[in-house]
Amino acid sequence: MTPSPTPFKALQVLIVEDEPLLAMDVEMMVEEAGHSVVGEAASLYEVEAMPTEPAPDLALVDMQLARGTNGLDVSRLIQDRWPSAVIVFVTANPKKIPEDFSGAHGVIAKPFSRSGFMSALNYLGEGIADPPPASSQPSSFVAAPSVLEIWSARSQMDG
Amino acid sequence: MSQKDDWHLTEILDYEHGRGDPFAAAVRATRMAMVITDPAQPDNPIVFCNEAFQHLTGYSREEIIGRNCRFLQGEGTDRSSVARIRAAIDAAESIHVDLLNYRKDGSTFWNALFLSPVRGESGDVQFFFASQLDVTDRVMAQETIAAQKAAVDSEVKRRTADLEKALEAKTLLLHEVDHRVKNNLTMIGALLRLQVRSIDDADIRAKLETMMERIDALATVHRRLYQADDVTRFDVAAFAANLASDVIGASGRSNIRLRCDIEPIEVRSEHASALGLILNEVLTNAIKHGLRENRAGSVSIFATRDGEEATLSIEDDGVGLIMDPASSGLGHALIKRLSPQSGTTVAWDRLPTGTRVTLRIPEMEHTS
Repeated sequence: MTPSPTPFKALQVLIVEDEPLLAMDVEMMVEEAGHSVVGEAASLYEVEAMPTEPAPDLALVDMQLARGTNGLDVSRLIQDRWPSAVIVFVTANPKKIPEDFSGAHGVIAKPFSRSGFMSALNYLGEGIADPPPASSQPSSFVAAPSVLEIWSARSQMDG
Repeated sequence: MSQKDDWHLTEILDYEHGRGDPFAAAVRATRMAMVITDPAQPDNPIVFCNEAFQHLTGYSREEIIGRNCRFLQGEGTDRSSVARIRAAIDAAESIHVDLLNYRKDGSTFWNALFLSPVRGESGDVQFFFASQLDVTDRVMAQETIAAQKAAVDSEVKRRTADLEKALEAKTLLLHEVDHRVKNNLTMIGALLRLQVRSIDDADIRAKLETMMERIDALATVHRRLYQADDVTRFDVAAFAANLASDVIGASGRSNIRLRCDIEPIEVRSEHASALGLILNEVLTNAIKHGLRENRAGSVSIFATRDGEEATLSIEDDGVGLIMDPASSGLGHALIKRLSPQSGTTVAWDRLPTGTRVTLRIPEMEHTS
């Protein structure tokens, strides 16, 4: 932990999760971390129906979504519509994510702990506001290789 | 049959060998069925047959002589084999072929036919000599073996397909169960977090948070196990380091330093949950209570192995809390009850500043 004060930036977060309780839980943790939720969706169609403004800074995307849709398709749509958004899969099946993450930026595996999720959120917040993140990468978050290249400079796992 | 008296019918053999020639006598008497045909006559008729041939086919000499050999063929006879024989005769060459032939009574036999031209002094083909051996037993044995092999092959195929189907069903079930465990743990965590937020009473909220952290520790153990390459082992040292890092990271406190000097301590996965819960108690105790009220400090984790036993120690430079063995708190009870399973001992020491908790964990081969 380096005590260097990172300029905090409140992120606009999009939550794509088909389990309502978990969506509610994630929403509350996002808000506790000082960010705000710009939208919630349970399927690809609901993401499609969203207004393009405001653009999210961070999208937390479950892999298995409602109405037979999946996180990879949502990720492609987000990349298309909001190219600057950081996309993080939140899934119980991290092995189903392609090795190159299909253009997404990382994964938080389920089941996550509150502390693991909050650490990941803090780390992502630092990475988005002022890369590279000041904190070391928490074990609860796995970054895509492309993101690691950009952020790796000062990231060192201590476990 | 009147073979013994039919010397006159074999006079034709006297072309080059006199009657009573020992070779002709041998041909007549051998158990090998033999015929001779004359290609100079229309339709290459049989001009001699021995007793063995009559015996094999069931026809008498009178019925045989003068006919072409094809009278032994029937509907089951392979046409392409017959064509090969015809081609060999036309080319005046030898041929060996297994042919299905018919006896007078309609029964069949497998005939290992050997046919070759017999040339005179001039080099012209004067006769064809053919021997017939009943190889029905051999052909039938081959067919039986082929049929048995086909039956075994198809049975193996069927059983393999059954096993593959069963494996597929089991794999599907395993994925389903795995998915349910993960989702349920995720849901339990979400429910507890949602409940914690709605509680106003600080004491009750603290207790529920403690419970939430325990469930979180179990979820983290499960996640690490399913993401590991080897599901039978669990590295408690790496788990402790990650848990400490997560708890400090999530607290948002930048005044706690984490130092880790660890080597892997692997235990059998059956002990992972118990050790995960113990470490959760020790680490949250150090961070939340040892370094309470935003007290600046550090947490250090050391892990060493010395062959039979591994040592995992967690030090903080906080207020020097010792978990009281007489305490009735659940945290202490958890540690006391869960540590013997893996043969782990937990010792608490007060340092000049802070606390050291030392776990001695038997190496994997010695764990029961």
